Amino acid sequence: MYDAPHMTESHVTAAADVKIAARNVQVYYGDNHAIKDVNVDIQDKTVTAFIGPSGCGKSTFLRCLNRMNDTIDVARIEGDIRIDGQDIYDKAVDPVQLRAKVGMVFQKPNPFPKSIYDNVAYGPRIHGLARNKAELDEIVERSLRRGAIWDEVKDRLNAPGTGLSGGQQQRLCIARAVATEPEILLMDEPCSALDPIATGQIEELIDELRRNYALVIVTHSMQQAARVSQKTAYFHLGNLVEYGDTTKIFTNPEDTRTENYITGRIG
Amino acid sequence: MPLIWLAFIVLAVATLGYVMGWRRALSTVGGDARHLHSLPSYYGWNVFLKVVVPAFGLMIAWVLIQPLLIDRSVVQLIPETEVSEGSNIGLVMSEVRRTAQGITAAVAQGDMAPDMATDANADAAEVAQVLKDAGQIVTSDLSPAIVQGAQRYVELSSFGNLLMSIAVLAVGLLAMAWAVRESTPVFRARNVVEQGIKALLIAAASIAILTTIGIILSLVFNTIEFFRLYPAGDFFFLLEWAPSFSGRGGASSLGVLPLLWGTVYISIVALLVAVPIGLFSAIYLSEYASPRVRAIAKPLLEVLAGIPTIVYGLFALLTVGPLLVSVFGDGGLLGVSWQGGGRAVITAGLVMGIMLIPFVSSLSDDIINAVPQAMRDGSYGLGATQSETIKQVVLPAALPGIVGAILLAASRAIGETMIVVLGAGAAARLSLNPFEAMTTVTAKIVSQLTGDSDFASPEALVAFALGMTLFLLTLGLNVFALYIVRKYREQYD
Ligand SMILES: Nc1ncnc2c1ncn2[C@@H]1O[C@H](COP(=O)(O)OP(=O)(O)OP(=O)(O)O)[C@@H](O)[C@H]1O
Ligand SMILES: [Mg+2]
Repeated sequence: MYDAPHMTESHVTAAADVKIAARNVQVYYGDNHAIKDVNVDIQDKTVTAFIGPSGCGKSTFLRCLNRMNDTIDVARIEGDIRIDGQDIYDKAVDPVQLRAKVGMVFQKPNPFPKSIYDNVAYGPRIHGLARNKAELDEIVERSLRRGAIWDEVKDRLNAPGTGLSGGQQQRLCIARAVATEPEILLMDEPCSALDPIATGQIEELIDELRRNYALVIVTHSMQQAARVSQKTAYFHLGNLVEYGDTTKIFTNPEDTRTENYITGRIG
Repeated sequence: MPLIWLAFIVLAVATLGYVMGWRRALSTVGGDARHLHSLPSYYGWNVFLKVVVPAFGLMIAWVLIQPLLIDRSVVQLIPETEVSEGSNIGLVMSEVRRTAQGITAAVAQGDMAPDMATDANADAAEVAQVLKDAGQIVTSDLSPAIVQGAQRYVELSSFGNLLMSIAVLAVGLLAMAWAVRESTPVFRARNVVEQGIKALLIAAASIAILTTIGIILSLVFNTIEFFRLYPAGDFFFLLEWAPSFSGRGGASSLGVLPLLWGTVYISIVALLVAVPIGLFSAIYLSEYASPRVRAIAKPLLEVLAGIPTIVYGLFALLTVGPLLVSVFGDGGLLGVSWQGGGRAVITAGLVMGIMLIPFVSSLSDDIINAVPQAMRDGSYGLGATQSETIKQVVLPAALPGIVGAILLAASRAIGETMIVVLGAGAAARLSLNPFEAMTTVTAKIVSQLTGDSDFASPEALVAFALGMTLFLLTLGLNVFALYIVRKYREQYD
């Protein structure tokens, strides 16, 4: 893009900051048109919040960004999604590589039926991130600390991850996702089962990760979206109704649907 | 009155009771069901249960106990001298019972006058002749004592049956009257019916458990009987299986080891075939195959499970055996002469393995499918490939179930008979060579009990000891399976 002479300096920097560019994205589950013509530019080193009423397609759109919808037989995706300018639905793109780069924390905690240690070490092991056991131990400890769960599990790293409480499982899954050092982290309601203290710790983690990564977070908490995100996208019935700076969305939304939602009149 | 009629009458009374209970409950509240504690139908069921349970209970108990009492009273009519050399009172009594059955049937057909059936002074030879003419017995040399015993037997049982019918009906009617009276608005019929249903379920479970216990006890007693006639040490440690049937004379060697080895060896070969193929096809079907392929392939594979084992046996005998000989036999493809005949461990093992594939694959497929999609998503989401996901997440999660499926297949293999008879031969042998003929415990149980064997001889009773051995083997396998499942279970839920 640097060979485009007509671009001004500011255009170039703005374009370089865009991590994910989605154009005319449509998702169908069979006949159900779940995502309708969504266009969005997600910035690098930024936290973007997806908000909207239940069933509006936030998770669906999030799952498009790392091709998790490939595993759903009935799902069909149209349009163009580029990460760093590369079309991720291109034949040449290996979804497995893509997902290593675009990590995901799922809406429902899904720890593997393995020990806590093995859960976190899973990603580093398959991608060969650690050269020896000591390095792996270090990655596991750092990830668990970032997931704000180290103190609770450091004495029972060999206990099964499925034996943790719901909130602990959620943090374990966050730790598991950050252990692979993804460039983009997609978090689907990562704090839905957490108490205020753990939520605060996860929000600190999100803030810290923002220095290096692009983050997309789905949340039902307006306060959380306002606290942690710089950009907010409001989804409604499969449409992206409004997208912009978080402060603007929360103080001066353009669309009445957005205004109604954040002031609590619908959803 | 035949039992079945009695049962129908009891049911009719119970149905009547149902209607009456319903009616009475409704009438006590002037037809407004809202004032009843329970829905009207519960009052009906309450009466129904209260008629059926005691009446049938009495009937069953009576049917079980009456023959014992009659036996005890008839036995006194049989003099010592009737029990001939080499026989016992039990055999005589069974002849008495047989004759009694004959008399009952002859009277029912009208071949014998009813008073002859009970006339204690009737000529034994004459009775026997009538019975023979009626086609009820084969030989007419019945001793007078037996005929008299049989007559007494018939008399007592018909009297007993009459008494039973009266008692059962009386109990049923009394219960009905009582239960109908009970149907008042405050009576908690719903709770009673709930209890009744629970009792019904418990009864079903107990029948299952009691039958199992009965079968095991019969095995145990006959095994003990066998060990009284044949030294246990020989049975367990003799390396030879060479029964001699009474006609040929000479002592038998009844060592279980060659048979056990044959069973285990053939089963291992079968599992070596069935487990990898079955498991891999299950993984393909559940993880890789498109829904269309799956919809066609899975039923096709399951057709294999519907083929009767005798057909597999034929397949082993006529196709696989000769095929293997043409490869491993004299002048075969490999130029070796390992295999002498078509019947060999490998033939039976191979075919049995094919038979087991659908067991392993179908069960494993269900189990793999039951692993939640969220688990796979978690793995894909971290950038794992499909085979990494299967190996590290799906299979470990499904392991207890898969072990269960494999052990189920193993029990099938151990219990299989037809394929062994036709595919592996009948020679009991302790050998490591898979190209030799061998035989298994089940095949030998069959051959020990077919033909004119005397059921009191060790050569026939050994079948029970063999059955017991098999039972313990599969029991051990199941306990082992439970242990494995428990050990890994905690990681999954
Ligand atoms: N696997 C699926 N198969 C079929 N339809 C689906 C599937 N997943 C989601 N949908 C449909 O797509 C629409 C959007 O669902 P999605 O899960 O994206 O909503 P959401 O915004 O994440 O809601 P929530 O806030 O409740 O998580 C819904 O109508 C849903 O029924
Ligand atoms: Mg969602």
